[in-house]
Formats: sequence, C-alpha cells, structure tokens
Amino acid sequence: MKDFMMIFIGADYQELGLSPEEMQTRMGKWFTWGGKMEAAGILKGGEALVPVAKCISGPNRTVTDGPYTESKEIVGGYYTVSAKNAEEVVEIAQDFPDYDLGGTVEIREIMVFDR
Amino acid sequence: MIKEQEMDHLFRHQYGKMVSILTRIFGLSHLETIEDAVQDTFLLASLKWRKEIPENPEAWLTKAAKNRAIDLLRKIKADQNRIANLSSGTSSIAFSHLFLEHEIEDSQLRMIFTACHPILKPQDQIAFALKTIAGFSGKEIASALLLKEATIKKRLARARKTIKEKEIVFELPEDNTIKDRLHRVHEVIYLIFNEGFHSNQKDSLIHKDLCGEAIRLCKLILKKTEYRTGDGYALFALLCFHASRMESKLSASGKIIDLKQQDRSLWYQPLIQLGNDALSTSRGYEEFSSYFLEAAIAQEHVYAKTFKSTNWQKIHAFYKHLNTLQETPFSLLNLAIVLLQLNKNQEALEILNSVNPNDLEQRSYLYFGAKAEYYKNIKENTKALDCIDEALKRVNNTSEKVYLEEKKMELQNIHKI
Repeated sequence: MKDFMMIFIGADYQELGLSPEEMQTRMGKWFTWGGKMEAAGILKGGEALVPVAKCISGPNRTVTDGPYTESKEIVGGYYTVSAKNAEEVVEIAQDFPDYDLGGTVEIREIMVFDR
Repeated sequence: MIKEQEMDHLFRHQYGKMVSILTRIFGLSHLETIEDAVQDTFLLASLKWRKEIPENPEAWLTKAAKNRAIDLLRKIKADQNRIANLSSGTSSIAFSHLFLEHEIEDSQLRMIFTACHPILKPQDQIAFALKTIAGFSGKEIASALLLKEATIKKRLARARKTIKEKEIVFELPEDNTIKDRLHRVHEVIYLIFNEGFHSNQKDSLIHKDLCGEAIRLCKLILKKTEYRTGDGYALFALLCFHASRMESKLSASGKIIDLKQQDRSLWYQPLIQLGNDALSTSRGYEEFSSYFLEAAIAQEHVYAKTFKSTNWQKIHAFYKHLNTLQETPFSLLNLAIVLLQLNKNQEALEILNSVNPNDLEQRSYLYFGAKAEYYKNIKENTKALDCIDEALKRVNNTSEKVYLEEKKMELQNIHKI
C-alpha cells in the first residue's frame, strides 16, 4: 500500500455565495464521504483550509496576500489515504462532493524516502 | 452522535434565528453586516463539521451566534450608545436572555413583521422574507419564484434601502395595528406557499421547501397568543390540506397528476389531521375569511375517498360564498370548474364568459382548459380541441404542457369513435 494525497482545488463556498441550506447539504456529503473512507480504514488524515493565504516569495521574502487571481485556484483542503495505486484513489475521489461547483481533485503520491 | 440526516434544514432555520437575534441587538440598519457575519458562521460550520458533527449542533450554532455578536460589537463601532444600553440593560433584557427559546421566537416574529411591513412593496416583501427569515440565497429565491437572480438582488437591495431610509424599527406592531399587520403577514405566507405549491418545475425540491417554510412561519405566528386569529388558524389548515397532497401531485418523472388521478393513499394523514384541528379551532373565532372557505374546500377534497365521491354540492356552496367575499378571476374560474363537475354546463359557461382570460395572466391556459372541459361535456369535441390548442399556446410550463397534450389525445380519441 502507498499513501496518496487528494488535494481539493477551487469551489470556494464563500465566493460562490452558497445558501445555508446548500452548505448543509455539501457538509453532509463531505461527512458521508469521510465516514466511508474511515470505515474502509484507508483514511490517514486531512484538513480543510481557510481560504486566506499569505505567500512569501523571492529572495527578498516578499509577503503577499495570496498569489491567486481566481478563486478556482485556491486549495481548499486535503485528505491523505492509503491505496494500492493512483487508479484506486481516482475511484475513491469519485465521491468528492464539489465537482459541480467547479472543484478539482488533484491526486499525488506521497514520496517515501529510503532510510 | 447525531446523524446529518437528522439535522433537517438546521442551517436554514438557524440562519433565520441568528439574523433575527443579532438584528434585535444591533438594529435593522446593520442588517447587511449581520447577514454577512451569519453567512460566515455557516461557512465555518460547513467546513468544521465535515469530519465530525458536534454533539448538539444547535447549541454550537447558538454559541457561534453569540460570539458573532461580540465580534460585531467591536466591528460596528458607530453604535456605541446601543451597545452601552445593552450592557447596562436599559433594553430590559440581558444579552444572554436573547438567546433563550422564547426570545428567539420573539426576534423571529419581529423579523416577519419587518418583512411584511406595509411600507415595502409586495414583491419585495416575499424576497426579503425568504432571505432573512428562511435563509434562501438570491439564486434559490430566483429559482423558487421563477425570476432572474438579478431581479431578486434588486428587490432585496430596494427592501433594505427602504428599511434604512424610512427608519423602520425592529419591533412588534402596536396593538391598534396588529389586525392589519397580521393580515399582510398572512397574505405573504399564503403567497409563498402558492409559489411553491402551484409551480410544477423539475426542481421540485426548492418548491417543497417554499411550502415547508410557509407552514413553519404560519406555525410561528400561531404560537403567540396575541396573534392567534380565526384567519391564522384557517390559513394554517389550508396549507396543511394542500401540503398533504404534495407527494401525489407529481409523478416520479415530474408529470402532473390531476386530482382525479392522484393516488389518494399517498395523501399525508398527519397533515390532514393538523388541518382538521386548525380548522375547528378557527371556527371558534368570530371573524370569517376567504382562508376559511378555501380551507373548507380543501378539506372536502381530502375527505373524499374517491374523486367520484367528492361532495361537489358542498364545494359549490363554498365557492359561491367565496365569490361573494372576494370575486377574483381565479375564484370565478374555480366556481365554473366545479359547476362543470356537477354538469351544470350552462351556468358554468355564463361564469366563464364573464371572465377575461387575460386577467389570469400566465395562468390563462387554465381558463381554456376549463372551456375545453365545457365543450367536452356538451359533446362539441371540435370546439373542445380548439380550446386545448389555445391553452397549449399559452402554457409555458413543461409538465402542464404534457398534461394538456394528453387531454388533447384523449379528446382526439373520442373524436374518432
């Protein structure tokens, strides 16, 4: 088994002006999805991220309030899961709730260093 | 732990509560700031609760509302006096008391009366009520009322502006105006319900929600002794009777099923029971209104075991009475439809001829549907078909269209025989 990170990009609820009802429905879907992964014993961890960023870049260590021009580029959170291969994670990511809001799931294998 | 399915509309309802409490604290002039702040709270909850829903979600949200209020105290610096009053208690109610159940209800009632304030335009009242009390987004209101989102935004902005300019206070109405103010509240609730009930859009969920909200608001009004009126109970009964038929009105594929064809076993008995109780209660009051008659008609319909056994005589009497109270093109049309059921065709025709179909606006197709029924009754099928064609020309709702087309086929088949 390998570890993978699912990175969730875009679909910022605030930007999209979702109603309380919609937010509750979305939250419920996330909850169900998380529960499903947990029950399967594949969920390693994950967090939702506050959509405000500080970015530090350049040799002068310039601090800016996020490099984003569009909200669809914002990373909203991540999950780490264990799976046989990326294809299996693609399968898991089918339940990601926010594709219809323009959200993207990026799947990255976590690199293991030899000791 | 609580399951998310058990939190039925918690966010939506809690939104209305939080906005109302905070408005009571900070005043209507800060409504926009308050709404934004409350929106943020739900955003936070929707992210935090992805992994774990708290033991008592409502308590969590109430606490969040309190914290929001404290945040806002800092943010809204301009209103130092009000804040000073709050902490010294001139408002007679201590801050934390505002978060008790009956005070929350009181705040919500204030919001309902604000939304239905006579100074606001009728169409703005509905949009404003759905936003501030029921927590609908502009997009949701637009799709529920079949309007453009921009139109809704305009209406909301206009309502907020009027409230600010006319310095409307966040209070319950004075004793001598209660009757009139309640009247408008009932009207708005009735309209919200109708928007939900009579639309047969594909997205039926949002329309069911409208009906649910109307019933909830009506219930909230009836909770307070001073606001219990015969009208209110009759309205509540009417909504219950109609809502009990919700599930049988549309087929799984979104096709309209008329009263004749509806599966009566699907009619939701607990709601009918609630309606019965409310209607009996309303009989104990002196005033008598169109809501009462409408509820009585709806009750006759849900009482009938089959379409055939419907007591059309009684319904006819109610409709006749209704028309003496307030004659509208719709009430006349309904009376004509009942007369057609009783095979009193000539009488029905006379009434139909007294109605100008264009007065029925986007529902004018109903008029031609009724006229087709008349010609069918007197066996003039060619003319009946002409009327159906006219109805089809005027209808813009897909499921209504399908329904009319089926009627047309039916008529064509009779024609062939």
